[in-house]
Amino acid sequence: MKKKMRILWLSAIACNGNTHSFLNYPYMEQFLDDFEFIYHPVIDSEYSLKDIVSKEITCDILLIEGAISKEFKRADVSVVDIIEKYSKIVQKIVTVGTCATFGGIFRESGYENTSGLHFDQEEPSENFQDLLDKTISVSGCPVHHEVLVNTLYAIKKEVALKLDNFLRPKEFYAYTVHNGCTRNEYFEYKVDNHRFGELEGCMFYDHGCQAPFTHGSCNKILWNEVNSKTRAGLPCMGCTEPTFPRQNLFNTKKNMAIPENLPVGVGKRVYLTLAGISKAFKIDRLEKKLFDD
Amino acid sequence: MIKLIEKIEGEAKLNFNFKEGRIDFVDIEFMSTRNIENILRGKNAFDALVINPRVCGICGHAHLIATVQALESCYDNLELSNKAKIIRELTLNFELIQNHFKWFYLTMLPLFGHKQEILKATYPSQLMGKAIAIFGGQYPHTSYAVVGGVVCEITEIDIIKLQHYMVETLKFVEENLVKTKSENFLTCEDAGALLDFEGDLPDILRQIKKENLLEYGKSYDRFISFGHNSYFKKGKSLKTKVTHNISILHVKESEVPSSFAKNVSFKDKYYEVGPLARAMVNKTPLIADANKKYGDSIFSRILARVCEISQLLQHSKELIKDLDLSEESYIEPSMDISKLSSSGYSAVEAARGTLIHKVEIENGMIKNYEIITPTQWNLSGGTKDKHGVSQKAMIGLSDVKTAELVFKSFDVCSVCTTH
Ligand code: SF4
Ligand code: SF4
Repeated sequence: MKKKMRILWLSAIACNGNTHSFLNYPYMEQFLDDFEFIYHPVIDSEYSLKDIVSKEITCDILLIEGAISKEFKRADVSVVDIIEKYSKIVQKIVTVGTCATFGGIFRESGYENTSGLHFDQEEPSENFQDLLDKTISVSGCPVHHEVLVNTLYAIKKEVALKLDNFLRPKEFYAYTVHNGCTRNEYFEYKVDNHRFGELEGCMFYDHGCQAPFTHGSCNKILWNEVNSKTRAGLPCMGCTEPTFPRQNLFNTKKNMAIPENLPVGVGKRVYLTLAGISKAFKIDRLEKKLFDD
Repeated sequence: MIKLIEKIEGEAKLNFNFKEGRIDFVDIEFMSTRNIENILRGKNAFDALVINPRVCGICGHAHLIATVQALESCYDNLELSNKAKIIRELTLNFELIQNHFKWFYLTMLPLFGHKQEILKATYPSQLMGKAIAIFGGQYPHTSYAVVGGVVCEITEIDIIKLQHYMVETLKFVEENLVKTKSENFLTCEDAGALLDFEGDLPDILRQIKKENLLEYGKSYDRFISFGHNSYFKKGKSLKTKVTHNISILHVKESEVPSSFAKNVSFKDKYYEVGPLARAMVNKTPLIADANKKYGDSIFSRILARVCEISQLLQHSKELIKDLDLSEESYIEPSMDISKLSSSGYSAVEAARGTLIHKVEIENGMIKNYEIITPTQWNLSGGTKDKHGVSQKAMIGLSDVKTAELVFKSFDVCSVCTTH
C-alpha cells in the first residue's frame, strides 16, 4: 500500500468556511487515497481532538484554519501550544484561509493579540519565526478548494513552489482576481455604467471591486467550477489580502473622482492619462445591453 | 462525568450527572466565542453582508439572507422584485439541502455504527454549491443578496444549468437515500410504510426500530418556526395543535453563566426548531404521522430532516417556473443608507431552524447587532427545574453514547451557537 500523507487540520478562531470549501473539491476519492487526516473538524479521523492535544501523533503536514491567539483554546489547550508541538514534527505547515494567514475577520474577535501565523495583517509577526521556512500560506476567505488541494499535492510531490512575500504560491497568487472577469472590457475602456443586477458593467469605478489589486485565481479557476463573484456581479472584497476586510465594501473609495486603490503596479498619473484616452473610445456595444433585441 | 463532544463545527462539553444509572441532568457548555456582534458594531451597515456569512461555514448563506432582510426591514418602502425574492429563496433552499446531506452522511451514519459516507455527502452538496454559485458567484461565503435585490442577472441558459444540477441531485436521492421515485416518497403519509422502502434513510430508520431506539430523543414535543416564505409557514405546534400568530417580540435571549451560548425562549418556554419543527408547523402528513407514532424522537427528527431534501427540491422546481426573467434583479433603494437611522429584524429558516437577526443603524452605521441562532434554541442549557430542549431529550438515558446520538440528532453547530 502506498503511504498516505498525514495531515492535522487544526481550527483556531474560525467559521469553518475553509473546511466546507475544501469539501467542494470534486476529486475527493482520489484525495483521500493519497492523504489522511489524523484530525479534521468534520471528516472522521483515527484520533480525537483529545488525543491530538494530549499526545503527540505522527503527522506530515500541519494545516491551520482560523486566526491565532494564545488565549484561544481547543479541548482546553491553547492553540499556540498545539501549533508549537506539531510544528516541530511536521514537514510543512499550511495556513489555510485569510484568518490563519493574516488574522482576517476574526482578528477582531477580542482575544489577546490575535493574528495570522506569520503576519498581523501586513506586518510580519514576531512569533513562530523559526517556522517561516516550513510555511506555505493559502489565503482567501475561504480558500479555494483547488488552491488548497493542489498545494498539498505539491508538498507531497516535493515540488519547490515559488512563494510571494506572504508565503503564497505564485502559481495561484501571482494573478490578480481581475484576470478573467467577464466584465473586463468595461474596465479596459473605462465604461463606468455599472448597476447591480446586470450582466454589464465593471464594479471598479463605483461599487468597490478590489479585484485589480487583489491576488488570486478566482476568475482563472472559477468557484464551484462554474462562476466567480465578479462574473456574477458582486464586487471582489479582496478576501485573499492582508487588508481583508476593509471598510465600506460596496463603495469605491475615491479621491477627486479617482479610485484610491489602483491596479497593482499602476501609478496615479499613468492611470489618469490612460483613463482619458480609453474614455475616447465610446464603444456602442458596451454602452448597450449585451443581449439586445 | 464530562464528555467532550467533537466534530460539531467545534466542540461542546457535556457534563453528565447520573442518578441510579440514569442521566439525571446534563450541563451543556460551549467553550469559546468569536464576538461577531462586537465585530459588526461601528461598521458600515452593508459590510454586514460580507461579515455575517462568516459566522458559519456551513450555513453562512442563511446568515446572508437574514442580514439582507434585517437591513431591508429598516427601510420604509423598499421595493423588491418577485424575481429577487424567488432567487434568494432558491439559493437558501440549496444551502439547506447541502446541509442535510452532510449531516446525514457525515454526522448521523457514524453514530449508528456505520462508516462516514464522505462521497455521498460531498457529491450532492457540491451540486447544490454549484447551483448557488450560478447566482451568487461562489459557495460558501457569497454576499450576492444586497439591499434592493440580488446582484446577478440570470439568463435562460443559467436556468437550464441550474435544472441540471437539481435533476442530478434528485437522481442521487432516488438512487441512494430513498430508492423510489420521489413522488412516492413525497406522497407517502405513513411513517411505518417507509420502513419497507430501500435506501440509506430507511436503513437507518429500520435500525432505530430494531435496536429499540424509538423512544430516544423525546423532548417537549413543542415546536416553533419563525421564518416564513413560499414554503415554510410561521407558527408553533403543541401536541399537533398549530397556531400561526406568534411574534418575535416574545423571543427572549438570556445569558448562561457556564457557557458562551445564550439561552433562547418564547414566552418563557423552550421550543425545538429545525426540520421537525417546520414539518409540524407545516403539517406535513408523513412527519405528523411519525410524530403521532414515535413522538419527537430521533426517528421523527431524522426522517423530517432527510425528507426536507426531497420537499425542497420539489418546491424549488416549482419556484423556478414562477421566475419572470424580464423583471429587475435589483431595484436601487430610494434612500441612501448613509441617511438611514432605524432598526429592524428578520427571521429566516436555516438548515437547523429559525435564525433571527436584529440590527440598529445610525446614519448608515451599525450601532447594534444581535444574532439568535437555531442551535441556541435547541441546545440552550436550562436549569434543573427547567431543562433546555436537548437536555430534556437526554434525561433518563442510561449511557453517554446514546446521549451523544440524541444530542447530535439536533445537529449541533458550535460556531453558530457561540458566534
Ligand atoms: S468587475 Fe472587478 S474583476 Fe471585473 S473587470 Fe471590473 S474590476 Fe475587474
Ligand atoms: S473574488 Fe475577491 S472576495 Fe471573492 S473569493 Fe475571490 S478574492 Fe475573495
